[in-house]
Amino acid sequence: MFNIIKTRIKEGIKTKKINIEDIKKDNIVIFNEELKNKLLNKSKNKNFINNISVRVVDSGSCNACLHEMSALTNPYYDMERFGFKFVAAPKHADILMVAGCVTRNMYSALLKTYENIPYPKFVVAIGDCAMNGGVFKDSYATLGGIEDKLPVDILIKGCPPEPIDILAGLLLAFGKSAK
Amino acid sequence: MKNKLDFIQNLDKDIKEAVTENFYNQDNELVLKINLKDLKKVCLYFFKDLKFYLLSAFAADESKNDGNKFKIRYIFSHSSIDLFIIIETETGGTFPSLSEEIPALNWYEREMKDLFGLIPEGHPDPRPLMLFPENYPQDIQNMHPLRKDYPFNFRPEFKKYGEYSYNKDVKGDGVFNILVGPVHAGIIEPGHFRFSMSGEPILQLEIRHFWKHRGIEKIAEGKTISETLSLAEKISGDHCVAHSLAFLTAAEKILNIKIPENALYIRTIYAELERLLCNINDFAWLFQDAGYSFGAQETFVLKEDIMELNKYLSGSRFNKDILSLGGINICGNIDNLRKNVLKEKLSNFKKRYLNLKKMLLNSSTIGERFEETGYINKETILDLCALGFAARASGVPSDTRKEHPYLIYDKLHFNSKVLKNRDVFARLLIRFYDIEESFSIITQCLNELPAEDINKAGREYADNNVNNTVDNISKNKSKNDRCIIAKDDKIDIAQQLPTNSLRSWALGYCESQRGNIMHFVELDEKSRISRWKIRDPSFHNWQLIEFAVIGDIIADFPLVNKSLNLSYAGNDL
Ligand code: SF4
Repeated sequence: MFNIIKTRIKEGIKTKKINIEDIKKDNIVIFNEELKNKLLNKSKNKNFINNISVRVVDSGSCNACLHEMSALTNPYYDMERFGFKFVAAPKHADILMVAGCVTRNMYSALLKTYENIPYPKFVVAIGDCAMNGGVFKDSYATLGGIEDKLPVDILIKGCPPEPIDILAGLLLAFGKSAK
Repeated sequence: MKNKLDFIQNLDKDIKEAVTENFYNQDNELVLKINLKDLKKVCLYFFKDLKFYLLSAFAADESKNDGNKFKIRYIFSHSSIDLFIIIETETGGTFPSLSEEIPALNWYEREMKDLFGLIPEGHPDPRPLMLFPENYPQDIQNMHPLRKDYPFNFRPEFKKYGEYSYNKDVKGDGVFNILVGPVHAGIIEPGHFRFSMSGEPILQLEIRHFWKHRGIEKIAEGKTISETLSLAEKISGDHCVAHSLAFLTAAEKILNIKIPENALYIRTIYAELERLLCNINDFAWLFQDAGYSFGAQETFVLKEDIMELNKYLSGSRFNKDILSLGGINICGNIDNLRKNVLKEKLSNFKKRYLNLKKMLLNSSTIGERFEETGYINKETILDLCALGFAARASGVPSDTRKEHPYLIYDKLHFNSKVLKNRDVFARLLIRFYDIEESFSIITQCLNELPAEDINKAGREYADNNVNNTVDNISKNKSKNDRCIIAKDDKIDIAQQLPTNSLRSWALGYCESQRGNIMHFVELDEKSRISRWKIRDPSFHNWQLIEFAVIGDIIADFPLVNKSLNLSYAGNDL
């Protein structure tokens, strides 16, 4: 353990600095620019914006997108420093993050999760599959993507998108200053 | 049983008589054609008497105008001989179920029932597997997606056609059920678990999977090899190198393409990097699930560093898109500069990994929770034909790299450790060995990597041969910027496409981090996919978990689950 702490001291803190001006926006599409206001109206308390909960649903991904999402909690990206956190129940959530195409079998589970998120709620589509189904668009076993099923607010492109892009997308959309 | 060529001579007389035709499809693929009535006898002979392992079983639609005809193939192998036995039989609609005798066939037979409408007669549990009654019509003649007359994009009306029923209920005083999923609390793929409990201990677990069934096998039909390759990367994202490798191996065997030496080395390096990454990832999650955050976060940092290294090497954090038919893509090349960086980084990773390992092994809480949890007996492993480290932690050798060497694994020095402890801790220890072997294999590959500038050779090859690639022939121009790295360049792939009007097939296999991956690829006369059967190790190993948790408390389920860390995507397809 001392060795590890020694390495940590030698190598320094790993967390990446993010400068909101430098964020590359090629992979980020924001459909709804009013996200921040919508969220602020939810509560009179301005601090609310510092506590945004995310619920992840995998509706048919290949699991690479999931790996990248869970990377957001590692010390490199540490999304909690910006007030985003993953929660276990839709009732606690503000954001629904969807990865992967929508399979027939997952469709109702996805809708139920969405319905159970209290208003105001936002939908973030992660990866090329999520929006329209990507290569699985026409398959007998899927129903395409979420674009015609849920109101998507943010799309992060990529296959899979890199964690830094996901984080940047959230920061941009919710108008946060990067620390 | 040591000799491949007179293998057939040494079989029982009874079995020899049952075989109507036999031939070697490839060097190590022995096909035995038999009649449906002998199926049970022959399969049981291999499984029970010769102790062969079932690696895959699948159907293919060969219907012509004169009625339905399906081929069913069973693939067996043994750890002591580099030979695959492919038992081939034909049927018009039904076949005898062997699930009672070979439990590993349970899901395969149900899969054939769903996707082809073939009825396994006498199956103990004939419920639908991947086509859920909640949204898909059941038992209707033309509603079986993998039949050739079913269009890949045909979607039956989305409505309720029936209810899901659980297999067996546990009854008694104080017995209650806990239902979990399909959407889980963490960032986990979807699956449904029903725990039957009495107090804390689990009496029975029933898993329900295939929530993410995407129909990959059907989508691929009629596609070119390069289009299918990009699908192969999407089978299970964290195993994209292993799956594309398995697929390509099969395709290259059919088209008789020889891969240049240096590309073989580079493929091995990427395969091992993937194994390393997945093992480190599992390692981190085991820390996390045991509530040891400090260790977990340190290991996640290590994982992230490996992914950054991947990105440096190939431009993709998962090493996607580096393999191509006949070699590797330019973007995945390992030149001298990258070689040195790789060496340097690996020694740093290894040092950090050893520290983490020491910390984990010294922690008494970890030992307390991991030892004597999640026992999987050897008999269960053998019955379900479990693969990879799960089998090796319970005393059953299973490593394709040793049993059926591919790439350059026969030239490398490495051990495939087998332990007898059977618990979560044993599966963790096996991972430690695997991680260390991966480090050593990559170092060996780097030291022996053929020195010539393959980068240049590759580029020249691309310039000279743009018109010769298989993709162009198949009128797919999208990947012209890719090229095949060839040492003794100018493989004229165009000439090597099968010219006869026969369909031809081959097996593609490799050892992924979770175990053996088996692909069956059949190309039609235009070199397009006519049948592609993918089998991820998770398809075998998921059924283990129902046995592993019995008697454990429910709080240990995450540990047992993570100790196997199976892919839902690769299982559901
Ligand atoms: S976008 Fe790519 S990485 Fe993400 S789920 Fe789809 S195929 Fe997998």
